[in-house]
Amino acid sequence: MTAVAPPRDRTDRGGPSAGPRRAHRSWVSEVGWRHLVGLLAVAFSLFPILFVVSAAVNPLGTLSSTGLVPSGGISGENFANLFARTAFGRWFLNSVLVAGLASAASVFLSALAAYAFSRMRFLGRRIGLLSLLLIQMFPQFLAIVAIFLIFSTVTDLWPEIGFNTPFGLILVYLGGALGANTWLMKGFFDTLPREIDESATMDGASHAQVFFRIMLPLVTPILAVTALLSFITTINEFLVASVFLTDTEAKTLAVGMYGLIDGERNNNFGIFAAGTLLTAVPTVLLFQFLQRYIVSGLAAGAVKG
Amino acid sequence: MENREFGAGPATPVPHRGPVPPRHHAGPVTVTGLAVKVVVLGLTVGIAVWAAFPLVDAGAWAGLTLLVAATAGLCYLYLTRRYVPAKYLVPGTLFLLAFQVLPVLYTVATAFTNFGDGHRGSKQEAIVAIQTASVTQVPGSTEYALAVATTGDPATGPLVFLLTDPATGTVSVGDAGGLRQLAAEDVTVDAGGRVTAARGYTLLTIGQAGARSEEITNLAVPTAGGAIRSAGLSRAYEGKAQRTYDAGCDCIRDAESGKVWTADADLGAFVAADGERLAQGWKVGVGFQNLTRVVTDPNISGPFLRTLIWNLCFAVASAGGTFALGLLCALALHSPRVRGRTIYRVLLILPYAMPSFAMLLVWRDMFNTDFGLLNNLLGMHVDWFGNAWSARAAVLLVQLWLGFPYMFLVATGALQAIPAQLTEAASVDGASRWQSFRRITLPLLLVALSPLLIASFAYNFNNFNAIYLTTEGAPFPADNPSVGATDLLITYTYRLAFGGQGAQYGFAAAISIFIFTLVAIIAAVTFRRTRQQEEVYS
Amino acid sequence: MRIRSAGVAAAVALALAAAGCGGGEEPNTTESPRAAGGKLVIWADDKRTAALKPFAEKFGQANGVTVEVQAVANDVLQTTFVTASQQGSGPDIVVGAHDWIGNLVQNGAIDPVQLSATQKNAFHPTALKAVTFSGQTYGVPYAMENLALIRNTQLAPEAPRTIEELVATGKRLKADKKVSEVLCLQVGQNGDAYHIYPLYSSAGGTLFGTTPEGDYDPKNLGVGTPESIAAFRKIAALGEKGEGVLKRSITAENSISLFTGKKCAFLVSGPWAISDVKKAGLAYDVTPVPGFAGAGPARPFVGVQAFYVAAKGQNKAVAQEFAANYVSTPELAVALYQADPRPPALTAALDQLMGTDPDLAKFLDAGKDGAVLPAIPAMAAVWDPFGKAEAAIIGGADPAATLTSAGKTIAGQIK
Repeated sequence: MTAVAPPRDRTDRGGPSAGPRRAHRSWVSEVGWRHLVGLLAVAFSLFPILFVVSAAVNPLGTLSSTGLVPSGGISGENFANLFARTAFGRWFLNSVLVAGLASAASVFLSALAAYAFSRMRFLGRRIGLLSLLLIQMFPQFLAIVAIFLIFSTVTDLWPEIGFNTPFGLILVYLGGALGANTWLMKGFFDTLPREIDESATMDGASHAQVFFRIMLPLVTPILAVTALLSFITTINEFLVASVFLTDTEAKTLAVGMYGLIDGERNNNFGIFAAGTLLTAVPTVLLFQFLQRYIVSGLAAGAVKG
Repeated sequence: MENREFGAGPATPVPHRGPVPPRHHAGPVTVTGLAVKVVVLGLTVGIAVWAAFPLVDAGAWAGLTLLVAATAGLCYLYLTRRYVPAKYLVPGTLFLLAFQVLPVLYTVATAFTNFGDGHRGSKQEAIVAIQTASVTQVPGSTEYALAVATTGDPATGPLVFLLTDPATGTVSVGDAGGLRQLAAEDVTVDAGGRVTAARGYTLLTIGQAGARSEEITNLAVPTAGGAIRSAGLSRAYEGKAQRTYDAGCDCIRDAESGKVWTADADLGAFVAADGERLAQGWKVGVGFQNLTRVVTDPNISGPFLRTLIWNLCFAVASAGGTFALGLLCALALHSPRVRGRTIYRVLLILPYAMPSFAMLLVWRDMFNTDFGLLNNLLGMHVDWFGNAWSARAAVLLVQLWLGFPYMFLVATGALQAIPAQLTEAASVDGASRWQSFRRITLPLLLVALSPLLIASFAYNFNNFNAIYLTTEGAPFPADNPSVGATDLLITYTYRLAFGGQGAQYGFAAAISIFIFTLVAIIAAVTFRRTRQQEEVYS
Repeated sequence: MRIRSAGVAAAVALALAAAGCGGGEEPNTTESPRAAGGKLVIWADDKRTAALKPFAEKFGQANGVTVEVQAVANDVLQTTFVTASQQGSGPDIVVGAHDWIGNLVQNGAIDPVQLSATQKNAFHPTALKAVTFSGQTYGVPYAMENLALIRNTQLAPEAPRTIEELVATGKRLKADKKVSEVLCLQVGQNGDAYHIYPLYSSAGGTLFGTTPEGDYDPKNLGVGTPESIAAFRKIAALGEKGEGVLKRSITAENSISLFTGKKCAFLVSGPWAISDVKKAGLAYDVTPVPGFAGAGPARPFVGVQAFYVAAKGQNKAVAQEFAANYVSTPELAVALYQADPRPPALTAALDQLMGTDPDLAKFLDAGKDGAVLPAIPAMAAVWDPFGKAEAAIIGGADPAATLTSAGKTIAGQIK
């Protein structure tokens, strides 16, 4: 197995040596359409968000007085109120803690499982995979009662991991780790040629070494993707968190923010919109951080084998 | 320390560490490996010991046995050389069992009970609730000013009520034995007549009383007409339970009217001869009653097929639509020549980064006929949610918006994993870009992503929020408020099970067993097909 | 194998060390908060939590009790409370609307509160009636709410006495391009039983008959009866195919903001709308929702917010003390009013506030013909089908067929 230089995209070739007209046409066909698709998709993804932005900077922020252009001028009042009248900062920290730990642990657990499902053949493998898929399909609002039952006991015995603690919530989220991510990762482990790990095993590496030193680095893009997806799912999770966290200090963003708009019609929509925007910040930062792993094209190097 | 290497690896520009150096003494037990193992197992055992103390305190021996067995099992698994797959599967599976499988099994079990509002607890709890609810003040009786006191230590001593009759000012001491008057010179009272000190008694503060709340609530001083009970900590009243349970006839009897409600073990309720049922019931097993109701109830079976077809279309269109758009975006940005890819990508994942419940509400408002952004921008007057097809199109559009960033991310990751050499080779062979996409990129992508498409289908099949927070199932036919054009099976059953007179969890669980079976069959059949693709690689 | 047994030994040592750390914390950890004496846990929705906190703390300090006020989102508060109570992990006190009582009682989740005659007399009679269920007082009321007609006095100086007058004024304003809607009464895609009820009741419709004792009778359903159909014919005449006064596009989300945005001169809403109206700087007045000409008065639902004592709370004695003897003080009522301006249920607090806030008296006046919102569990079966029938009829469906099937659906859901 020889290490290969990082691959270059196929579109890299052809440009400079060709004549100007060809270069122009090839820019349109090679790059131009990409920008077109990108711009259209960005427009599609942004316009509902612009609506939220406009509500967030509108001091009279109710849901429907806001169009795309703020009607009552622009002010930071909603953002100020968000911090002054709610425990937003605290919720934010809780969310980042819960989502960060849960997604990191969840990626690790599901990577382990995906490796086994992809590379090993054992009794009950297909059944296990299918069960993972099926268990996800059970409606969650019914399971709430059972989760209550379990955690009432847990809270009695070990209050440190019971209701109103981030760790209890993380435990519940880890329950869903395998189901959500194993499939995703197994698909990628499957695309890596078997010769890679076979040759490593021939060289005397143990299964753990193959996993940690060879497989994981090769699937970095998908580890990053999984981590991000898992982070987003966790930070936006509401159903379980809302019954789990009643203490204001323990709440996550989704639970705390939901409390702002429910019941009292939509008086708080401006504040809510401001909070919604800020909720997206950790996700965007994490994505920025992970992007280089996602797009670094690492996997390609090893394939020739 | 292997973890550190794994963490550092990908950050280096050429992260591939090359093959692991060949080992001549091919012993798989390395020092780092062993150290990690020892630390992790040690921590596991440590956590188990920590968890064991409260179990011992509570006398939960079954729980303790389970804990010891699980810990021993874990240690054995990671110290033996056998069961390699299990070493990788067990950690996640433990969580899965505890927090997913167990709740699901519990839910399935409730399908065979009448569990729901009015039938949540045990019969004993129902009896207590009925008796407590029937305690009324004895007509014409005295309202006492109360002080809770003890003859011993505030934390443990026997409790008494010091009761002042506001009319006469006399103070009595009451306990389970009855009421005795105290001499006036032994007590001091405040302006409201409440005892502030009494010789031979220590008064409890509210904090101290709070610690013994249950004893105080249960303390009843028997009187001729009933019993004196506390109403809070500063007042007491003479009350009498109008309804009492009689174990002899297994019934509740009303003292005033003499009416009798007999326990019905099949219904989990006390029922009178005239059919009147007491509201406070209890949980009983009902066998297959809930399941047969799902099949025989015309309200459920009637619109079932129509709802199922739309539900399938919704799930397929949501999964397929988001995949197509996500893949298109990923392909478009999969080129180093596109400037600003980083910005594009961040903007594209924004819909996924926003809390989805908030955005669903925003979308609902954008579809408003008269004031919605969509109609205003397009200069139309479409009653989006008032018409079956436009409502369906609307929810699918919302799903597309919410879901495509997920597929975009996954497809971006997947494209990176496809060796560029393969597509390069194809283009050298003269294949057009479309051909190389069709013949090489897409099949490879599907290997990685088709299980995800199944998962996405399954998720959307039960996507409760997508409907509940937008159309709520609308539009509904005027003559049938129970099933609407955009209803999924899940929203429709939710309305049946929780929309009526209180939540019917047992019934809801029965319906979800049916839905689950249905999705499971569809998914399992589709899953069989992925086997062929998978085998290509194994 | 030597290396392996060394590993086992090390693992055991580590385990003991880790357990030692855990063991060191034991004295703190075994003292679970629920076992500790004198802790009172209160659940309320987000808005009330903020108002309650200082008072709860004051009560706690004065009495040596730790009081915790926790916020649960309003629309999951009731179910979460019932589920948590059943498992023994619920609060000692919960704050909520009085129409929960029926469901809370059938689940054995709350205990009656024994109020003295003097205490009872301190409350507004309607408030007390609302928290009385099967002859027992189940909660301590603190605020009342009902719908009223809020009017932009700049656009419509005169209060309409009938719906017909209102429509005439609204149409004139619309013709003059001063407003775009005749009336802002939220309907929404799937209807809103609460907001249409004043008109429905004025036109002669009912939801339930009453028992001889004056309680609502679930066996005597008023939906689907000829009276209800006649009432909805009048409502249909105002609908989208009629006068265009009632519209499904006016929703819970936009009705208040349409009013504050001067898109309509009349708004049917409750005390919760006032803070927005004030913020928008409108000149406004609050009057009763008018009825149809020649028909009965409009009877908006009167709802009451109350404190309940959990039946399975850990600290019932203190909870009873708090609810029965502390909540019924005017200071708390005033503080809760300041957090959320609804008329207090305590007459003393009401009198105290009436001078500074004239709207309170006006809202009370608007509710004087009101009907107490039914607290029987059967009411839960009414909301959804009734609302949908309303939306369908306003959208142009035939009242007779629609209401008959709504009645059937509701009856099928009631045990």
